[in-house]
Amino acid sequence: MSAMPIEDVELDVLTDRPWITLVWNDPINLMTYVTYVFQTHFGYDKPKAEKLMLDVHEKGRAVVSSGTREEMERDVAAMHSYGLWATLQKDD
Amino acid sequence: MFKSGIGGRISLKLDDAEKQVLSQIFEQMDDLLQVPNFDKNADPLARMLNMDGSTQISEDPALARLFPDGYSEDEHASADFRRFTEQDLRQAKMDALNDVRLMLMDISGKSAVTPVQAQSWLKAINDVRLVLGTRLEIADEREIDFDVDEPGINLYNYLTYLQGTLLDALS
Repeated sequence: MSAMPIEDVELDVLTDRPWITLVWNDPINLMTYVTYVFQTHFGYDKPKAEKLMLDVHEKGRAVVSSGTREEMERDVAAMHSYGLWATLQKDD
Repeated sequence: MFKSGIGGRISLKLDDAEKQVLSQIFEQMDDLLQVPNFDKNADPLARMLNMDGSTQISEDPALARLFPDGYSEDEHASADFRRFTEQDLRQAKMDALNDVRLMLMDISGKSAVTPVQAQSWLKAINDVRLVLGTRLEIADEREIDFDVDEPGINLYNYLTYLQGTLLDALS
């Protein structure tokens, strides 16, 4: 069995740096709605969901989940389905 | 308004004026979601797999709000993400909208709302609020003047109220 050439290995896997999903503040989504979405999609308990919602509201954004790039793309797509403004990026 | 009853079962009661307003706004929402955002150069296989979506964010601010970029600092990754997800996202929004429009046609008096229907209502109302809020250029939740007698603002406030009753019923 030959070893895979190193340049073919995805850099993301190699560096093992997790990716993160960010939710950004917006003036339209209700605070109670954002809390509900965090509880429903991520399964967070109410205190954690409320803390994240307040972070979004007061700091402009919050990291709501971390994991592989594929997992974060699924989380971002789910947030978009709820109408939340979310993006993913590498956690630097 | 939505209410939660015995065993957490949710019901919905709307008067005729509310039904009429909601039917109209959901119809307009359907028109907006029908606006195609296809990549005309996509190959047939991509089309069959629902992966022929555009790679560009819409120039219409309301559609841009419904279908935002997936990456904030990576245009190329955002384009790929959009190509693979936007059509599914659009379909999901249309499915939720169809669900509530069907229910709206049947509703009379106090009607039971299934958990699936409740989710459709939640998403459909929120999508309309996003579109209206963007069109009304609501930039700060504290700046909404609730006393202004303007049709758009009145509708926005009504939808906010209706969504609030549903969130109360769900919690």
